[in-house]
Amino acid sequence: MHMILILSFGAYLFALFFRPFLFLGILLQSGYMLYRASELERIPLVGPHDTMVFLAASIAAFALPFCGKIKNSRKFHNLIAGSAALLTVLALIYEPRNFPLPPVLKTIWFETHVVLAFMSYALFGVASALGYVYIRDNEAVTEGLQYRAILIAYCLFTLSMIFGGIWAYLAWGTYWLWTPKELWTSILWIFYSFYLHARLRQWWIGKPAAIIGIAGFGVVMFTYLGVSLLMKSSHSF
Amino acid sequence: MKKTYEILLSLRTSLWLLFLITLFFIAGAVIMPSYPELSSIDIPLFKWLVQQPSGAVWWLWGAVGLLAILSVNTLFCSIESIIKKRKVTQWLLLVSPQIIHTGFIFILLAHLLGAVGSYHYNAAVAEGYQVKISEGELLRIKNIDIQLDPQGYVNDWSLDLEYLSGGRVIDEDRIAPNKPSLHNSLNIIAKDVQPYPKAALLQISKDPGAVWALAGGLLFITGILILIALRIKMEK
Repeated sequence: MHMILILSFGAYLFALFFRPFLFLGILLQSGYMLYRASELERIPLVGPHDTMVFLAASIAAFALPFCGKIKNSRKFHNLIAGSAALLTVLALIYEPRNFPLPPVLKTIWFETHVVLAFMSYALFGVASALGYVYIRDNEAVTEGLQYRAILIAYCLFTLSMIFGGIWAYLAWGTYWLWTPKELWTSILWIFYSFYLHARLRQWWIGKPAAIIGIAGFGVVMFTYLGVSLLMKSSHSF
Repeated sequence: MKKTYEILLSLRTSLWLLFLITLFFIAGAVIMPSYPELSSIDIPLFKWLVQQPSGAVWWLWGAVGLLAILSVNTLFCSIESIIKKRKVTQWLLLVSPQIIHTGFIFILLAHLLGAVGSYHYNAAVAEGYQVKISEGELLRIKNIDIQLDPQGYVNDWSLDLEYLSGGRVIDEDRIAPNKPSLHNSLNIIAKDVQPYPKAALLQISKDPGAVWALAGGLLFITGILILIALRIKMEK
């Protein structure tokens, strides 16, 4: 099954030259995830392998509606294809986790919490790419699109936190655990709250907001990968 | 006085506060792993905080102070916004940010209530064991059922409980993964179960802020959804 992922990596690389290959990459990865879901009889979103595949496919898929709205979308398209390819390579490095889920993860609250979190991460990633393109091309429309992407991602991320809190209360007796993962989740939430409030002031609209939007994806990636790799986390299973 | 009022009403103040809270939380996330005692807080947070060395928890004191100012700032801004713009025709557009703010205040209130009155403790139990859960109330483990899959992993489990008062059974319940027993504002879960010998590690916890957190979360998300829907409508 790794061959499908290798093919999807190839599709994302080809997408740097021939745009329609981005669709092929998304299709291959969707097929891979569906296959794993049917094999494991659960949502394949435990461990870095599965989450990176999901993130790669989500970034590529969420970028599509924005492609048509940017004047010169080549840079944006390449950034997205490159990110998806990179995440796919990283996913290939990690072994897939095929063991049965511990009983505590067999709940709709876990599934919605994780799916929404990674969908929001993907949209924050798309927003970051839009911010970069805005700084390069200085098209006001692109910065507006970045804001829209962040607003929707923020909504998904908040929903993910709510579902996570409900799950934690049912599974661990408290909706909040004082672990670095929860703190970084709060940092991410407050960081984007800062972005959304800053953009209400005229001074921040444009380049400053675009830069914060780009930096935000750094916080996203650290919350996702850095905390798991460097710190003891309540999210290690 | 007027100056203080203006500062509390300012969006610039909100931005500074959000920025500083982010920095304090980053400091906390870096400091926390060096202090293993921070990984398990069994008593109310404020009670626990005063017992800790200041080098380990200064960031949390700082964040609590900043969040207190932020909640006042949020309330002032919301009230002023409603007063100033009360005559606008798009009242949903006016109200939706205030719904988000109310949700945020509820979430902060939940954490405050939890910091004052939440606690948890653990009890290792086997079938037939009794645990005191409050003045005059006992919890008895009637039955522990553990199912293993062919590889020996715990596949599923459940615990049948009885609540006793004055020597007689007043209530019965069953706990399972993600199905706690909620009894008189207590939340009873099994943190761990083991098949041989059949035993479980119960966690009995109380969190007076949980309902407020849920209400806050729902208000927050309602506000954001209204805001997004209105923006889409306006763009169309």
